[in-house]
Amino acid sequence: MVSDKVSYIGFTCSYTPLALIEAAGYTPYRILPVGDSPDQAGQILHDNLCPHVKRVLDRALSNDLPELDGVVLLNSCDAMRRLADAWKKARPADRIILIGLPMTTDDSAVAYFERELSRLVDTLGQWSGRAVSIETVRASIKKYNQLAVLFESVRNRFVGRGIIGGAVRLQGLYNMAVTRPFSEAYQTIKGFIDDLNSPIAEDTGIPIFLFGNVLPDPEAFGLFESCGVRIVDEDLCTGSRSFAQIEMDGERKIFSQLARGLLRRPRCARTLIPMTPGAIAGEVLSRATACRARGVIACTAKFCDPYIARIPGVREALRKAGLPMLHIEGDCTMRSFGQHRTRIEAFTEMLRR
Amino acid sequence: MMKQFFDDMTAKMEAGLLEKNTARQKFNLEVTRLGQRLYSGNQRLALCGVCAPFDLLNAMGINSCFVEFWGGVLATAGIANEFMEEAEHVGFQAESCGWHRAVLGAAIKGMMPTPDIMIATSSPCTGGVAAVENLAQKFGCPLFVLTIPPDDSERSVRYLADQFRSMVDFITTHTGETLDGGKLKDAMNKTNQAREIALEVYSLAQSIPSPVKGRDLVSVGLTMPLFLGTETAIEIAQAYKNEFTARIERGISGVPGERLRLIWLQEAILFKNPLIKMLEKDYQATVVVEELNDIYWEPIDPGDPFMGLARRTIAFPFNGAVERRIKHIKKLVQAYRIDGAINPCHWGCRQGTGSRGLIAEALKDLNIPVINLEVDCADSRNFAEGQLRTRLEAFMEVLGSISSERPVEIGGQACTI
Repeated sequence: MVSDKVSYIGFTCSYTPLALIEAAGYTPYRILPVGDSPDQAGQILHDNLCPHVKRVLDRALSNDLPELDGVVLLNSCDAMRRLADAWKKARPADRIILIGLPMTTDDSAVAYFERELSRLVDTLGQWSGRAVSIETVRASIKKYNQLAVLFESVRNRFVGRGIIGGAVRLQGLYNMAVTRPFSEAYQTIKGFIDDLNSPIAEDTGIPIFLFGNVLPDPEAFGLFESCGVRIVDEDLCTGSRSFAQIEMDGERKIFSQLARGLLRRPRCARTLIPMTPGAIAGEVLSRATACRARGVIACTAKFCDPYIARIPGVREALRKAGLPMLHIEGDCTMRSFGQHRTRIEAFTEMLRR
Repeated sequence: MMKQFFDDMTAKMEAGLLEKNTARQKFNLEVTRLGQRLYSGNQRLALCGVCAPFDLLNAMGINSCFVEFWGGVLATAGIANEFMEEAEHVGFQAESCGWHRAVLGAAIKGMMPTPDIMIATSSPCTGGVAAVENLAQKFGCPLFVLTIPPDDSERSVRYLADQFRSMVDFITTHTGETLDGGKLKDAMNKTNQAREIALEVYSLAQSIPSPVKGRDLVSVGLTMPLFLGTETAIEIAQAYKNEFTARIERGISGVPGERLRLIWLQEAILFKNPLIKMLEKDYQATVVVEELNDIYWEPIDPGDPFMGLARRTIAFPFNGAVERRIKHIKKLVQAYRIDGAINPCHWGCRQGTGSRGLIAEALKDLNIPVINLEVDCADSRNFAEGQLRTRLEAFMEVLGSISSERPVEIGGQACTI
């Protein structure tokens, strides 16, 4: 008998290999820092810890989650490591695995991550009670590559001519795709693409490149637009960094290819390119220039060391290039985000002159 | 200016050592001598993360320190604030770690020596990696990044050992310094010798009453790795062993009339403050151990040093899941027969302070009360002395009521106070 029940595996980081979770028969469910769960994380974690992690823990403590068959966390930063600790305390009955994530993308880092992915697959196989075959993994990567291609197509349209519903709609699609079964996500995005040729009204907002870490609430993008901003491209872990194609070569080891692909996709500030210290500044400038933005908004969760430590360098690089930057920090709630309205409006007004 | 500072300090301490030869002065002297070498301008220099294998670097003739060391030196000298202000001025937020802000500010102001290379370590914190990357960019010098795996599985140990080998190649490429097998073996032997003596030192410190007083061992466990692989580490450890042995033999307690034994978690407050003195004078409470004043690693096999160094690095109590840290703290609490724990909750430290609730909860299992302070251990600007005094006084009263009658040992013989 085939069950219709969806079996979810929770995750929190955009480096998570969704294809492996899907290959093991689960639906990856990104525990986004959204919703109205009361603030309880402070009982376990310190106030100065990343609000993304604390909001995720709030949801766990409030049971504001679908039934999870397990949780996959990555050792991506201090806050994520502490989340893994806190999760065990908050929900001791949950199955949880912490996967090592190298700081760099060189070959030895890829080899290490490859072994970690292999360990993840073994664990997922144990959780599900059935071994995960290489063929299934390969097929699943292909499926997620298809989804990445669709998103790339939407993004290209978004950057070039805009899409119906703008950034609000695009963020809604990202959120759906990281929380719903693959087939549903694929069909929804495909349907959306079929409508892409519908005429859209011209957006007269100021073109802005948005970068940072966690900004999942579509309402936040609505706020930008209501302030006269037109997001023409973004680099967020809850946005375009969620999906990227994994280069597949039938001859080589599949976990190695997956590890390489995940590590070398557009990166979070926590991942370094040692040959080019501070490379993130050049990357932001390059992306902002490519989408012809007139300004840049850095949007980061408060207390996020990987980002807040790089902001001065990014600001300096943009200043030299004549691109103004606005830095907004929040606690992953619209309440805190809304307080920045005046600053965003002033920034837009300045760029209009 | 900084070179002059270290030259003056070293001269003063060398003179002072002739008058009052204490282990702490010996330790301080070696710290200032290291500062001299770092500023000499004629020696190879690496600025690193906390978990770099300093004995390996010493074996290659590379003078090195972790970047937080500078924050510590500046805070101890009472001059960190102006550098933190400088860092904040260019956009490094006050919510970030004070040690990192201090060193970044010093670099911006041109007060740091220019390193030949930089080595970031993913443990203990991502903030540290970011600080090292920023400094590498600022100095335009080559950067190597060590990913410290969170677990000690054989494959993780091997991965880190391989990174150490690559790091040696990186150092040779950028400095011309090579790794001589004999020197490496010698360094590992010295590391092991220092380790053995340090084990005895910490064992002596566990005596009741403890021979440890005031600032005897402040930040020693955190800083000693900088001297590993050299005679200096052995000499410092031996000085402490001699001093503590003598105190115990003479029946001298570090804090006269010791009543309460405390563990200080994470790192010490390094700018001038009256808290430790207050605890000792008003409550006969002594900080007998800091969290990192311990040997938590096995001897390094000189015949296979890279694997041994990797195991030691992964075993660092702040690395990986909090269970490792809690297990380590519990071990210290039992070994030192601790009455209470002080957690400064260094503001800006996500990895350490982030887990304070879990630590307090774990120590509850051992009936050990914990007081969580809210300070930046490097930044005196927000140091609320009155409030902290009041809270610590209340904490001492609680501890006093819990442990008014307990067995003690003097010179190994049990008695009761």
